[in-house]
Amino acid sequence: MAQSGPTLHYSGHQYLRHRLVLSILSGKPVKIDKIRPEDKNPGLTDYEVSLLRLLERVTNGTIIEISLTGTAILLKPGIIAGGPVTHECPLSRSIGYFLEPIIMIAPFAKKPLQLTLRGVTTDDYDLSADLIRTVTLPHLELFGVSDGLELRIKKRGSPPGGGGEVQFLCPVVKQVKTLNFVDAGKIKRIRGIAHAVRVSPQFSNRMIEACRSIVNRYIPDIYLYSDVYKGEESGKSPGYALTLLAESTTGAIHCSEAVSQPGIAPEDVALTATRALLAEIRKGGCVDQKHQSMVLLMMVLGSEDVGRCRMGEFTPRTIQFLRDVRDFFGTSFKIVPADPSDPSSRELQLSCYGTGYINTNRSLA
Amino acid sequence: MDDRPHKAHRPAQSGAKADKKGKGKEKQKGFNEKAFAPRSGRRADQQGRRNAERDQTRLHVPLVNRTPDDLPPPVIVAVVGPPGVGKTTLLKSLVRRYTKQTLNDVKGPVTVVSGKNKRLTFIECNNDLNSMLDIGKVADLVLLMIDGSFGFEMETFEFLNILQSHGFPKVIGVLTHLDLIKKAATLKTTKKALKKRFWTEIYQGAKLFYLSGVLNGRYPDTEILNLSRFISVMKFRPLIFRNSHPYLLADRLEDLTPRELVRTSKGKCDRIVTLYGYLHGTNLRYGTKVHVPGVGDLSVKSISLLGDPCPLPDAASEKRRKLSEKKKLLVHAPMSDVGGVVYDKDAVYINVPGSFTRGNTDVPQGEGEQMVMDLQDAGTTLDDAVSRSQIRLFGSSSKPIVVDKSPDGDASDQGDDDEGETEEDEDDSDSAAGSSADDEEPEWSDEDGEEEMDDAEGQPTNTGRSAPRTVLRSLRTSFSTQAREDVAYAESDSDLGEDEDDRRVHFDDGEEADIPSGDDEDVMDEEDEEAVPHWKSNLASKAKEGFLQSRQNRKRDWTKLIYSSQLTPQQILHDDSQSTNDDKANEEDEEFFTVKSRNFLTEDDEVLDMTKEVTREEDLKEWEDEDLLDSLRKCFITGGGGEDADGHDEGYEDVEGDDFEDLEANEEHLDENGAGTSKLKPKSTGHESARAAALAAKKEALKRKFDEQYDDPEESKTDFYEEKKVEINKQLQLNRAEFEDVDAESRALVEGYRPGSYVRIELDDVPCEMIEHFDPSYPIVVGGLLPAEERFGYIQVRLKRHRWFTRVLKSNDPLILSLGWRRFQTVPIYSLDDHSIRMRMLKYTPEHMHCYATFYGPVATPNTGFCAFNSISDETPGFRVSATGVVLDVDRSVKIVKKLKLTGVPYKIFKNTAFIRDMFNTALEVAKFEGANIKTVSGIRGQIKKALSKPEGAFRATFEDKVLMSDIIFLRAWYSIQPRKFFNPITSLLLSDKSRWSGMRLTGQVRRDEGIKTPSNINSTYKPVDRTPRRFNPLKVPNKLQAALPYASKPKLMRAQKQQTYLQKRAAILEPEEKKAIALLQQIRALRKDQVTRRREKQEERKSVHRKKVEKEEAKKDEKDKEKRKEYMRIAGAKSKREAELEEGGRRKRRKT
Repeated sequence: MAQSGPTLHYSGHQYLRHRLVLSILSGKPVKIDKIRPEDKNPGLTDYEVSLLRLLERVTNGTIIEISLTGTAILLKPGIIAGGPVTHECPLSRSIGYFLEPIIMIAPFAKKPLQLTLRGVTTDDYDLSADLIRTVTLPHLELFGVSDGLELRIKKRGSPPGGGGEVQFLCPVVKQVKTLNFVDAGKIKRIRGIAHAVRVSPQFSNRMIEACRSIVNRYIPDIYLYSDVYKGEESGKSPGYALTLLAESTTGAIHCSEAVSQPGIAPEDVALTATRALLAEIRKGGCVDQKHQSMVLLMMVLGSEDVGRCRMGEFTPRTIQFLRDVRDFFGTSFKIVPADPSDPSSRELQLSCYGTGYINTNRSLA
Repeated sequence: MDDRPHKAHRPAQSGAKADKKGKGKEKQKGFNEKAFAPRSGRRADQQGRRNAERDQTRLHVPLVNRTPDDLPPPVIVAVVGPPGVGKTTLLKSLVRRYTKQTLNDVKGPVTVVSGKNKRLTFIECNNDLNSMLDIGKVADLVLLMIDGSFGFEMETFEFLNILQSHGFPKVIGVLTHLDLIKKAATLKTTKKALKKRFWTEIYQGAKLFYLSGVLNGRYPDTEILNLSRFISVMKFRPLIFRNSHPYLLADRLEDLTPRELVRTSKGKCDRIVTLYGYLHGTNLRYGTKVHVPGVGDLSVKSISLLGDPCPLPDAASEKRRKLSEKKKLLVHAPMSDVGGVVYDKDAVYINVPGSFTRGNTDVPQGEGEQMVMDLQDAGTTLDDAVSRSQIRLFGSSSKPIVVDKSPDGDASDQGDDDEGETEEDEDDSDSAAGSSADDEEPEWSDEDGEEEMDDAEGQPTNTGRSAPRTVLRSLRTSFSTQAREDVAYAESDSDLGEDEDDRRVHFDDGEEADIPSGDDEDVMDEEDEEAVPHWKSNLASKAKEGFLQSRQNRKRDWTKLIYSSQLTPQQILHDDSQSTNDDKANEEDEEFFTVKSRNFLTEDDEVLDMTKEVTREEDLKEWEDEDLLDSLRKCFITGGGGEDADGHDEGYEDVEGDDFEDLEANEEHLDENGAGTSKLKPKSTGHESARAAALAAKKEALKRKFDEQYDDPEESKTDFYEEKKVEINKQLQLNRAEFEDVDAESRALVEGYRPGSYVRIELDDVPCEMIEHFDPSYPIVVGGLLPAEERFGYIQVRLKRHRWFTRVLKSNDPLILSLGWRRFQTVPIYSLDDHSIRMRMLKYTPEHMHCYATFYGPVATPNTGFCAFNSISDETPGFRVSATGVVLDVDRSVKIVKKLKLTGVPYKIFKNTAFIRDMFNTALEVAKFEGANIKTVSGIRGQIKKALSKPEGAFRATFEDKVLMSDIIFLRAWYSIQPRKFFNPITSLLLSDKSRWSGMRLTGQVRRDEGIKTPSNINSTYKPVDRTPRRFNPLKVPNKLQAALPYASKPKLMRAQKQQTYLQKRAAILEPEEKKAIALLQQIRALRKDQVTRRREKQEERKSVHRKKVEKEEAKKDEKDKEKRKEYMRIAGAKSKREAELEEGGRRKRRKT
């Protein structure tokens, strides 16, 4: 019995997550080989294996074959099932690593997903739980995935020890809306969350002070919340971080984050975050740099209409994502400078013709 | 006397009559409100309500219509009906009506132009169920033909049911053979009866046409004209399935397999087949898999856009209100014999009537003759032409080049050149795309021919219908110059072409079109990116002209870099930053953020798949600068000037941009490219004018806002329906506008081929039987599949047995489904939802109820309708549609359970405990069921406790009461079952006899065919049940207990009294009065009795007389009836005899409803 089409081949461990996501959404099997073949620890890492496990649990009928050495995997995707799932994330990566691909596939599940993830909530590499809650989910709402979309931070967990817990609730949709987002607008408000666990609660206030020293000059509408978790809810290790986001008049969100590091004062952490936010704002576009690929994916999955979005500079991830999307869905984007009249602008306008992806998993019964 | 013209009536011009007339007319004009005014307030209210309700019924959910308005695909009009009803005659008449051409042999689709922006594709549907299914899925309008003299036939109803389950297209009924009904009264009643039935089937008021006799092999012209008018005003609402799938009704088929391969494999090799047709539905994109019903899933090797063989009238004739006569003659029917040309699968036959000589000009020449003449006219051979063309190009290029081949390779080199006539390369094998050495041998393969056809697209005179091998096309002038340019670059870029992907998108940005000389620039750029030494040599000059550089940066073609270069993402980004790095040498700039990213491409960056960018201290250091901080103010609402506070930031940015350009553009751009400066210059010089324009735009916007608020309050507060419609229209407009400026080829890559275009689809690995057993009278539909539909899974559907189907359906019996594009046989399991706890298997479908069915098969999106058949062969008696339903759910596993009852018997009973045996075989099984609920037949509930050691499989159980030894103990369990993974596509198009497809048979059928007896289980045979009457012992209550019981509860053990009581023993003696009274009463009763009997006798007499009378009348009536019947049967016999004779002629088979 002829199963789904030809298998797609990729090499290297990079961009593993979005390739898996594209495979699951498009239903095309994917084979990834040469995963760290020359490394001291060849093959898949613990968190990648954990991610595969999580994907297997969220889907039904997915077949994952890992080679003996762990340097090659074959994923034959099943359907996205959803429902209640609990997953323990390894401490090597934060839950953002796992949640990001899940957010991309969850709207197309059979049943609303109720995912509980345990592990590190904030770290240097991935989107923290705060960023996902305040930035990623609003980005998803642009596409009509809104009712019942929620991320609850039950416990926070800082890097070495972890011990955090988040609950991600996602509704299912039949089809995502087409995005037409070309007006970046102007920044109208800045919000921030300064959280501190297992350290003096004063730390978060100090971060807020430092941040305000820079951004106060721009607009008055600034609210920086101090969010201190105590006792059971504060995880196993001390740590603090500042998450900032700037929202524009048209709803474009830019964000940045800085996480505590040993030997660095909270003020410096705050300054890093603030400056990163300003840098992000200057890059422009309607979509935050960290969320480019998610927005592009949803544009591709939209109805058979032209979707447009204005973006700042691409990241390497985005570029690879654009290439991979074409392999999986056959959709290529039209990329033109957003502001042809303004030579200094580096913003780009992307437009594509949606594939008309319909959530076939959703049941009527 | 008669032919003398009557004197025309002259109305009175003056006088009382004229006045009266005028007044009368005045009165009649317009809508007389008084006449329809409600009589009362109550009535007015009712009328108002009714109108409002009627308005609501008119509304439908707004649906996006994916078919373009400007160039819609032809409407597919299917002519459906039983054999001999006159389908071909109707089709020929209609084609004749539209094109004034008579087709002798109608096969396959016939496309004609019917109006200024309307085309029709007629297709005849034969009586095969497979054809009906395929046609039902693609037809926009069905002309359902009914033999008026015969009535409805089973196929008609089957077809209507097929239509119903696949989205109901429009249906017009056509009643024929009405001339066979001689009596006017019978005709009237027949018409009425058929109309009534038709209306109940479709909807009340459905259009039904009556066609009378046949004249000259056609229906009367006036009737056909009327029918064509109805067809032309038909409006079509998009059907959901067709509005989400691309599809095509193939009107031509060609086999492209190398002849040698066919010969060596004796025709058994897989074929490469091209199908031609108009696209319908949604855009057909690259990488879409297609399903050809009757053949299977096929992968598309290539799609190419062809010139429209039956084009709509263009702008020149658009001025006229009516279709010009020239256009009326257009007909595209490659499988039929239009103009004497017939396209077979791989050959073109030209039909030459009578004797054909060259000089004979008085005979009107058809297309075929013209072709032959053209061929004869050719002065030079093909070889000559090729060599000549080679030489011609030789002059402009350093290498010999042939025009027809080079667009392929060269254009793919010249990525960003707009006009290029690029094709997606059919043959990837020519690795040296740029080098034209292999072009020397002229390959006149079919592909080349087709490509030429594309070139000719622009010419209005070329219909594209003329054979693909004709040579009447000339290249576009713009293209030829373009090609020459291409050739010039081809050699220098030859290495570039190799590592680039063939499939790519070419966009011309707006300015590039403005700046024709900019092309050279771009080519240089590309070279730079690839060839490193060149790039380095350019570095110095680039560094010199700082701003210019950044301008070029902006012009970097991201699409090309991303989609058609082999650079890694990092490289792409760093090329960028490298150049900006150079910028920085001269100017202070803002690109520092990416500057260092190159150096930071560390191992760590390579290893981790992370979302956050690594923030670097050095980068953030920049932000300590106050100026830089201030420069960002413009991004905030507070920073960008007072008037822009509401979010309109264009004005602000414009000012910024102007300043910026003022400085540089004047000095350095002059030498760069003329067009660029010409564009920028007016901007700098006419600063005031720009400002004025901005002000005007602003005023305009304000005015619009004001208008919206005050002038037209209704427009702003539209209802949901209107809002949605506006939204849809807006989006459609955007869809059109976004890729307007992109050339057709790259547009096809981005958005696919639009519906309405005539395309050629090349299919790989087509079974050879499709070609060998090709029959043009069976429709070939190419249906595009959504990505999800390529997969397989368990599909849960809601299904209802059709009430006309005579049998119930059984689980695990094969069933033929028509779902989506596919037709296949599968094995469903029927089930019902049991209290929302479990899906319980059903052995048979319920009588008059929906049930669920689950089967293994290709995925279809939920809400897709389907219909099911037990058999699709023509021999099946009765109604063939066995069930209809809708897809509910798609999954990879199913959970259907069936009930399983385990029984056991007690062998030892204690108080509430009993030992049960014969339920399980081993202790292990018992262990698995420990704690399970059990029950006796009488309803005493219990629980399994623990296995016993001695009799294997016995266990101890407790009950809520003491059980009896005679009790049977039940364990109710649920056993989960899986549908069989059986999927058998109906490959009817691959058969030589297309109606004789046979799938998996039922077990009973196999046994019958093979002559095998049904095996019978000895335990399943019915034997007389011998039930010994049970003897119940009397209940014994101990005396002691009895004594203690209250009286009511005491057992009633007293026997009935045998001796007579005292009163019974006594004799009664009557008093004399009493005696008298009793005697009197007796007498009265006797009298009454006698009276009644006498009365009854009399009545009986009367009745018998009447009965005799009635019998007589009855006998008379019977006699009459007999006569009548005799007469009727005589007529019927004659009729059937006539029919049989008719049938003998047409060899047709009828199944009376």
